[in-house]
Amino acid sequence: MLPEPDVTVVVIVYNDAARLARAVRSVLEQSLPGVEAVIVDDASTDATPEVTARLAATHPDRVRAFTLQTNSGGCGRPRNVGIDAARGRYVMFLDSDDTLDRHACRNLVTTADETGADLVSGRCVRVFPDREQNWYPWLYRERRVYESVLDDPDLLYDTLSTNKCYRRDFLDRQGLWFVDRLHYEDLLFSAQAYVAARRIVTIPHRVYNWFVVPRDDTLSITNRRAELRNFADRLEIHRRIDAVFHAHDADRLARLKNVKFVNHDLLLYLRELRSRDPEYRRAFLELARSYLAELDPGVFAECNPLPAIGAYLVRHGDIEGAVAAADYAAKRGRKPVLSVEPVEREGRIHWSGDQLQTALGRRILDVTDLGLHSAPLDAFNLGGEVTAMHRSGAELRLAGTVVNPLGRIGADLEPAGTLEIRDRRRKNRAFHVPVTVRHEADRIRWETAFAPARRIRPVGLVDQTWGLWLRLKTGDDTVTVRLTSDGTAHDGVRVPVRPRLTRVAGDHLEAYVAESGEFALRIVGYRWPARMTLPALRRIARTALGRRWWQRFGRVERALIRLLTGRDTKIAVFNRLLVRLPVKKGTIVFESHLGVQYSDNPKYIHRALRERGGPYRAIWSYSGSRRGFPADATLVRRGSWTYYRALARAEYWIDNQGFPVGLVKRPETTYIQTWHGSAFKRMGFDEPTVKQGTRSEHDRLRTMIGRFDHFVVRSDHDVRTLVKGLGVTAEPLRVGYPRNDALVTGGDPEEQAALRRRLGLEDDERTVVLYAPTFRTDENGRPAARFEIPFDLDRFAREFGESHVLLIRAHYLSRAVVPPGLRGTVIDVSAEHDVTALMLLADALITDYSSIMFDFALLERPMIFYTPDAEDYVSRQRGAYFDLTEHAPGPVVGDEAALFAALRDLDNARRDHADRRRRFVEHFGEYDTGTAAKAIVERFFTGGDRG
Amino acid sequence: MAEARDVFIVCNNVEELGGLQRWAHDIGRMFADRGHRVHLVGITHADRSHDYGHDLPYTVTVLHDRDLPQARGPIGTRLRELRHRLTVWRGAARLSALFRTARPGGVVIAAQVWAMEWVAQADTAGMPVIGMSHESYEATRRSSRYERVKRHFADADLLLALTDADADAWAFDDMSNAGAMPNPLHVTPHSVSPRTEPVVVRHGRLAFEKGQDMLLESWAEIASHHPSWRLRLYGSGPDEDALRRQAAELGVSDSVEFAGPTSDIEKALTGASIFALSSREEGFPMSIIEAMAYGLPTVAFDCAPGVRELLTDGRDGLIVAPGNTTEFAAALDRLIRDAGLRDSLAEAARESVRRYEPDAVLDRWERQFALVAGERAPRA
Repeated sequence: MLPEPDVTVVVIVYNDAARLARAVRSVLEQSLPGVEAVIVDDASTDATPEVTARLAATHPDRVRAFTLQTNSGGCGRPRNVGIDAARGRYVMFLDSDDTLDRHACRNLVTTADETGADLVSGRCVRVFPDREQNWYPWLYRERRVYESVLDDPDLLYDTLSTNKCYRRDFLDRQGLWFVDRLHYEDLLFSAQAYVAARRIVTIPHRVYNWFVVPRDDTLSITNRRAELRNFADRLEIHRRIDAVFHAHDADRLARLKNVKFVNHDLLLYLRELRSRDPEYRRAFLELARSYLAELDPGVFAECNPLPAIGAYLVRHGDIEGAVAAADYAAKRGRKPVLSVEPVEREGRIHWSGDQLQTALGRRILDVTDLGLHSAPLDAFNLGGEVTAMHRSGAELRLAGTVVNPLGRIGADLEPAGTLEIRDRRRKNRAFHVPVTVRHEADRIRWETAFAPARRIRPVGLVDQTWGLWLRLKTGDDTVTVRLTSDGTAHDGVRVPVRPRLTRVAGDHLEAYVAESGEFALRIVGYRWPARMTLPALRRIARTALGRRWWQRFGRVERALIRLLTGRDTKIAVFNRLLVRLPVKKGTIVFESHLGVQYSDNPKYIHRALRERGGPYRAIWSYSGSRRGFPADATLVRRGSWTYYRALARAEYWIDNQGFPVGLVKRPETTYIQTWHGSAFKRMGFDEPTVKQGTRSEHDRLRTMIGRFDHFVVRSDHDVRTLVKGLGVTAEPLRVGYPRNDALVTGGDPEEQAALRRRLGLEDDERTVVLYAPTFRTDENGRPAARFEIPFDLDRFAREFGESHVLLIRAHYLSRAVVPPGLRGTVIDVSAEHDVTALMLLADALITDYSSIMFDFALLERPMIFYTPDAEDYVSRQRGAYFDLTEHAPGPVVGDEAALFAALRDLDNARRDHADRRRRFVEHFGEYDTGTAAKAIVERFFTGGDRG
Repeated sequence: MAEARDVFIVCNNVEELGGLQRWAHDIGRMFADRGHRVHLVGITHADRSHDYGHDLPYTVTVLHDRDLPQARGPIGTRLRELRHRLTVWRGAARLSALFRTARPGGVVIAAQVWAMEWVAQADTAGMPVIGMSHESYEATRRSSRYERVKRHFADADLLLALTDADADAWAFDDMSNAGAMPNPLHVTPHSVSPRTEPVVVRHGRLAFEKGQDMLLESWAEIASHHPSWRLRLYGSGPDEDALRRQAAELGVSDSVEFAGPTSDIEKALTGASIFALSSREEGFPMSIIEAMAYGLPTVAFDCAPGVRELLTDGRDGLIVAPGNTTEFAAALDRLIRDAGLRDSLAEAARESVRRYEPDAVLDRWERQFALVAGERAPRA
């Protein structure tokens, strides 16, 4: 009798002779001795039996083989045979196309021995041909011991049976077997194991390599039928899991599992649905609908908002709305696509107008928080459709529609747009075709005609699929439209094309809908020779050697693109070459907040220069949209080659934050750093996270700050805090902030009138209150994208709507959402570039720790400091330079009631804090006397002393 | 008593005065005390040698007598690399010869990643290789060592980090051979601090990563409240002048003593009442272990998982967010004002440091040896 092994690894195989040996080798090469492999062949018809026999013969003491008489069609029966034959104290499962990590058994078994756990689970990695991806990494960040799955029901997310090590007597005791004749047997097995296990441990060690073979983009009809059957199986498994949980009195687990089903599984199916034909969609809908109908409606309320909408609409038969929800819940790294027309009801935005009769429907379909009514139009892509596609001769005619959500695309839509035919593998490669666009009812219609053979010149082989996108211009914005099709318009249309690699690489383009939902063209071989050569070439590319070369090609190409367009390259070219170009006297590059705005001190210096006239050339850096930037300046996109060239040749750099790290400023250029506000929070080397950084991090910051030639300050406080904290070596320019001149002198009445008009506040006599909080950080310490307004806006509207109007301005790093129902009473002014004009308009300010407090104080108007999170913000986040309650020139309030009380009593805030305001201004803004811009212009641009 | 083994401990050098070298000599002695045959191997000599005593119970070998050519440089990189490879090859041959003297059951410990380059080239004669990372995962991640750890230690039979948290971080970063092994308590106090001297002590190289600059900043916030108290900095290093200047600028020259290097750790610690660990980077800070053993309460920046492994905030020490000098000053202030708190933290520390007494740690080592040697542990 052989010694009892520690672990039996059950390797199941069906017609996989090519990879079985690799899998078994990974078992035999385990660093833990005492691991045996049990191969179970599910009645293979290829060379698998020979491979199996050879392995068993070569390692008689460590490999045993079993064969099923008839094919079972799944993984369940062969695994059960393996469990039955296992002699180890522990059992693991391995599929013939995957491998175990060398130390998998050692790590799992020592953990199980140490902890006595019934079940130990390790990290699984999905291995793609060109990359790797962790499977539920957040469950595997560190070793964790759970007494039961109830300690952390999130464990249920990992439904694989293969990355786990089961105690043999646990399986026996619980009578755990795989179900036969159903796909997704893993899900049920894992669910049963999780609820039964007495102790569960997860370890961060990689144990299982799951080799993923990329699917072809479209499925054959048999595959589609199979997929539907699979989906039916999946639902059946889910029903059985529900029953298991119910039997274990674990309804909470059932609910959580179903939340996961909606958030994850269903969403994946919905995302793919656009690429499926209508018949498939109908069949899918029926299957999904019946399962979702069985669920407790409470599940929907616990799901993530968009998947919940998807599931809810499937349940109510609205497949279009459900698929649109999946469009918007885009994969990470992709922009959401808005392909429905949301509706506004009772001041809230809803995903669709149907299903709003019930409270649950209203709650689930309420998408006000997405900010669809107020977010900039480039925050998402719009959904469009191709409704007609015809070929006439060499010409291809396309026509379709685009959604116009909430009518946000108005009359300023330009009648000409562009159809972009993009290489789907290379973002920046595209052919362009003009399209005509017009409004029609609530949709936008577009059409175009062009000769594909002339317009589209692919290389061939390396660029076989092309996505179709639209770009429409509306005012200063460009809207991007993701096109799709329901599958009827493009059926059978084929147009000729000439790849540069000749007709061997294909001769026609045919339309299809890719799995991403995007309407696309792919190269096909329709005539001789491509009919023969293209499939042959594709077969070659799929061989091991072909795949290797293909990957190498991809790597080299990506590296090359990075080299040619990367930031590092541009900076290197800047430092070595561009700075040798002659300086253009009188050119000034302005930038505010890294190009996000036309605002702040740089804007006001520019304006003063403009008023003075004189020979200068203003160049403004912008990132994102050009909207709001001045027409009389040259605009350069931040990070582009023109941007770097402009910086290299400029006589002056003027900005309020920092030009790209790594640029070495040439000595002929004068850098005026205006900064963007006095400091309450600790800055630079005074910030704990910076302070504890490495020497090279410190050096980098010093080099960046060392580029400043002049540093604008508005008080001695700035010198003690900013200059010291940032380690500024430049001379402090004690002139005050140009942006604050207007706060002292009263500003430009026309500009303010224009602002009032824009905000719809003409002849409005209500008190204007500006709420301008600073940003908060997320758990990673980065600025949180979303700012949650920490008081009840509805209550504000109820109590103050008659007498007050609230302007909300989020920090430029974050975004706030104001429900549309509060229109006219609460106004989101975050998109306004210039906060100075807003301050002039406001009768009072609510802020927290933002540097706006230093500026607004100059106006001698009431201020309220609303700091419900003061403790946390000041002590934990980064510390402050002074005690706010001690210096604040207005009431500091910590809760909503106190905030509203202070608002009710603004006169009091004005009167009682007058002295404090004066002291505050003296202390923090002594140089702000209304002449800053003039002083800078005279000193650098019109005076005798230049530089 | 487990089986007696040949244990090879390979370091960059074994002569310098540094934490790693001290660890190597200490653990070598402890292994030898348990009957193992220990070989300490340095790749090169140190610039400045420290005297680790005579009649060592283990052998010490240095592979290369002369300074090694620089492996990296901007010009002639190829040529230098070739020379470097030749050097490694020659050194590895000597190492192989040494390994061949081992009896069955031996193990090789590559205590540093640079040394691992030699071990990887050498013929280990079938012995398992244990790699070690003597700093926190984060510290490695931020340095150029990271790529080398990933490359050279990938094939080691085991990669030991200093704490469970660091081991987990390595494991999550695809080093599936990662495990944890703490440093043993390496001092046997003859006396403990009476905690009567009004002194805050910090010993260690005067260098950026040790963060004495941050300690001075903290000190400056509270020194004037406690005129009788002193901050005593032992050690020398590249930043000494800068630190003295900084102390003068902060106006605390009078209350800060630069006491110079010392090898009498007992005297240094028993002459103080509070220990301050102000580092930017650490692994498993030996100086905290020492302070605990000598009965000092510690204030430490949370700069590595090792700090939290050793101390529990508020129970046997005070832990402060990294770089937050204001909070660090507040913690010092609290301890200075509250003698009772000093006593209770110190007593708890002395008790809890016993986890790292040599016997406990060596047992863990023996289990790891058996594991990598492929010996199946007896089952209950």
